[in-house]
Amino acid sequence: MLYRTSGQFKTTYRSDQALFPIRQDAFLLGIILLFAWVILPASASSFAFQTLLIPVLIYALAATGLNVLTGYAGQLSLGTGAFMGVGAYACYKLITLFPELNLIVAVLLSGLFSAGAGVLFGLPSLRIKGFYLAIATLAAQFFLVWLFEKWGWLYNYNASGAIQVPNVSMFGIWVAGPQATDRAQYFFVLALVTVLTMVTINLTRGNLGRSWKAVRDMDIAAELIGINLLKAKLQAFAVSSYLVGVAGALFVFFWRGAAEPNLFNIDLSFRVLFIAIIGGLGSVLGNWLGAILIVALPVVLNTAPHWVGLDISSSTVEHVNVMIVGALIVFFLIVEPHGLARLWALIREKLIHWPFPY
Amino acid sequence: MKTMKRLALIGAAAAMGSAVAAQELYTPNLSYRTGPFAATGIPLMNGQRDYMLMLNARDGGIGGVPVDFEECETGYSTEKGVECYERTKDKALVTQPWSTGITLQVLPKTNVDQIPILAPGYGFSPMTDGRVFQWAFNTPATYWDAMSMILQEISGGDLASLEGKKIAHLHLDHPYGKEPLPLLEALGAQYGFEVLPIPVGISEMQNQSAQWLQIRRERPDFVIMWGWGAMNAGAITEAVKTRYPMDQFVGVWWSGHSDDLQLVGEDGKGYRSISWSLPNDDAPVMADIREHVVGAGNSLATEEEIGEVFYQRGVVISAILAEGIRVAQERAGKAEISPADLREGLENLNFTQARIDELGLTGLMAPFSTSCSDHAGHSGAWMLQWDGAKFVQASDLLQADQTPIEPLVEEKAREYAEANAPWPVNEACDG
Repeated sequence: MLYRTSGQFKTTYRSDQALFPIRQDAFLLGIILLFAWVILPASASSFAFQTLLIPVLIYALAATGLNVLTGYAGQLSLGTGAFMGVGAYACYKLITLFPELNLIVAVLLSGLFSAGAGVLFGLPSLRIKGFYLAIATLAAQFFLVWLFEKWGWLYNYNASGAIQVPNVSMFGIWVAGPQATDRAQYFFVLALVTVLTMVTINLTRGNLGRSWKAVRDMDIAAELIGINLLKAKLQAFAVSSYLVGVAGALFVFFWRGAAEPNLFNIDLSFRVLFIAIIGGLGSVLGNWLGAILIVALPVVLNTAPHWVGLDISSSTVEHVNVMIVGALIVFFLIVEPHGLARLWALIREKLIHWPFPY
Repeated sequence: MKTMKRLALIGAAAAMGSAVAAQELYTPNLSYRTGPFAATGIPLMNGQRDYMLMLNARDGGIGGVPVDFEECETGYSTEKGVECYERTKDKALVTQPWSTGITLQVLPKTNVDQIPILAPGYGFSPMTDGRVFQWAFNTPATYWDAMSMILQEISGGDLASLEGKKIAHLHLDHPYGKEPLPLLEALGAQYGFEVLPIPVGISEMQNQSAQWLQIRRERPDFVIMWGWGAMNAGAITEAVKTRYPMDQFVGVWWSGHSDDLQLVGEDGKGYRSISWSLPNDDAPVMADIREHVVGAGNSLATEEEIGEVFYQRGVVISAILAEGIRVAQERAGKAEISPADLREGLENLNFTQARIDELGLTGLMAPFSTSCSDHAGHSGAWMLQWDGAKFVQASDLLQADQTPIEPLVEEKAREYAEANAPWPVNEACDG
């Protein structure tokens, strides 16, 4: 009933190909956007901004980037953490070399460096596939983190080897660095992530996305129908690394405030990969659901005992937390191996037929 | 996406709900009893916790107000650390970040949030400059002090005797391990000894064969270690395996954990570690802890652990904080102090020998005092030596030579302030 599609007639190709052909979907998205843009920023505490809202946005963007590569183009990558690092270090160098540069421009430019690194390390994908490609991207992961450690110029020869985000203002408001307010940072991240997500959705629906999917499903067949594999794969690497790089720049500039090379190690790559897998490969919505499960849920679980007044030692909570999140991941993967996005798709289908299933 | 909002709302509600006004001194500790560094974290945190519990049981807290010494588990992860900081900052009197990584993240926020950071014997060495780092304290001694004192001890008191020698700096490849390098290199250039930095990546902590092969090839006259967690045990077992002379192997205070040496036992005899705290089971405070906390069954520590260096260092750390609170209460004239009051208290610590005895800390620590411009105190330290079964005192109290350190502190502090402009500098204080 809630999701009744009858009566929604499409009379033009244009309306049939709209992003949300069903009215309820658009309505739902509208509500979510209203929450994201108005209600949450007005009501959230600094704790919620710093540990729930901003990290979920950033991780979801990173997972979207990885999903373009792994979910849409079928190329397994374990180098996400390092590509995020490239974005972060590029942004840091841009901001410290050209302090008058607008931060939006710097963040968007830093994605280009990461895209370049992605294309470079994506070259082996023309020869090798599957797990072997994963190993090649693993090389990128280790090499780049090593580079962040050893190349002093990248961190301005800081004695501690870490990068520290300077105070950056835009139109008279501090947007990055210790002086920035949570709200300003949140809006900045939200705006960029919204735009980039929209661009990604449209890319994956378009010509480019179709050629990626063809390559993913069967690369020989794709080649036979005239898709240039070299181009399609490298484009996927470029777009993916671009998004991941921007996410990395946001990660350091709008959330962490400081970063040591170790931050971008293999754990981060795995974390983003798990978000993409649990959320659902080959979907954009999945990245968001995955990020909520992996990033936000542990934080909420950590706070929950306090909130209901239970007095448990924090190390016990931490242990229990790891168990609960682990069990949930196993549960969701058993219930729906294709990820949370597929789970939502099934629910939605049931809702459309409800109350007269067939 | 909908779920996210709901979760976020719960989180927000939780954060607001926890702001209950209570008559207590809230001093959260960002502990790590889980994760790769738990083995070294647990004894320290137990020591800290037991001292505060002892104060609550014996004196009813500090100045009549009980201490709420809550732990927030970080697992030594910077991300979790920031989460803990955000969760506790509304009520917290102090931040005890317990990792150089978390300190680096939290340090720039202190001027905005105005909560003092207490990082006893760790963190960023230039934090000792109280004019620039108004909210950060690394009492009682910094890593640069440690390096200076180690060099004094191995050179027999005269650094000039190190000329032509080769000193390897085996360190964790992390902000923490790199911290003393600027000073070591400056001193190397001044006194003509060769410095050989040997980094150990976090992933190779347990297997340092490559690093020790390099040490065997280069034959350094001394190896100085800045290690933590699993790296200490790895280095010590490798040193034994390669038969590196133990009396030429010296660690910083975090590399002096009894458990790491017990692995090699007799073979580790001669290994030294600098320490600003001494184990002293006979100190009156230890008897009080045994009576009020261990006896009452409230301690998490084992009997063996209580006698160790790290546990008793944890006790000293909490004692420093408690003294800071006491001074703050006196100066503010009220028992319930604010973070700003505590900052004032930590700036006016005066641990004279008489005061140390009065607090029952006899033999556990050295006298020191802080001021508005000096946030470390530079208490000096002792050299501890492994005798095959336990650490024993092997030197008199050493004092760092501040002549080469001071200009370096000033330079690095200024650099930090410039990189983080606008950064308020307290010009008013000159003492």
